[in-house]
Amino acid sequence: MNAKPKETLEGLLDSLGFSASVVETSMDDNIFLEIQTEDPGRLIGRQGQTLSQLQYVVNRLLFRQDRDVPKVTLDVGNYRMKSKESLVEKTKAAADKVRRWGDVVELEPMNAYERRIVHNTLKDDPSIETHSVEVDGTRKKAILLRPKH
Amino acid sequence: MQKYVEFVIKGLVENPEAMQVETEEKEGLTVFKVKLHPEDMGKVIGKQGNTINAIRGLLQAGSAKANARCALEVTELDI
Repeated sequence: MNAKPKETLEGLLDSLGFSASVVETSMDDNIFLEIQTEDPGRLIGRQGQTLSQLQYVVNRLLFRQDRDVPKVTLDVGNYRMKSKESLVEKTKAAADKVRRWGDVVELEPMNAYERRIVHNTLKDDPSIETHSVEVDGTRKKAILLRPKH
Repeated sequence: MQKYVEFVIKGLVENPEAMQVETEEKEGLTVFKVKLHPEDMGKVIGKQGNTINAIRGLLQAGSAKANARCALEVTELDI
């Protein structure tokens, strides 16, 4: 691999005025970069927006260095792990509601990564069916949970 | 923040040597005016403006930390 994920992210953070260190790990075909900084809140941003933008830019920079580079995933202070756990909890609570009342429950619009977590959480559930619907004005989609007959 | 603007844009384009950056100060706002080789415009803007939006978002995060206000404009070089 000709791309330098750790060095690229460190250079980017330094140029933005964040003193941070980066730990790079790879698993299978994924590269994971964990950022350690004294100011994680600013790097995460509202609803993780800044972290998503940072990840997007890093992936563009690495693609320019090497077209075959695997996708990198960034995390700051376990933010992604925590938000994934809370999304799984929310999904399970919505599934309980569907089971109890037989209603259809619609979750808020989510991006592809978040939807994947929701679908995966319920993929082996015999009583719930999930499917995504388009939402006007955004590329995000909402997931509907309904009873499986 | 000029260091950031140069780092990120030079890292994305095919013709980094053609890039020119001018800064303009107005009422506490620093505007970075970047001129690029016409071939590189798409690389910096990205699909549906995704790349330029992300670059600007990070510029906001970095300038907020430095208590500054910055903006970024990208235009084609006349060749």
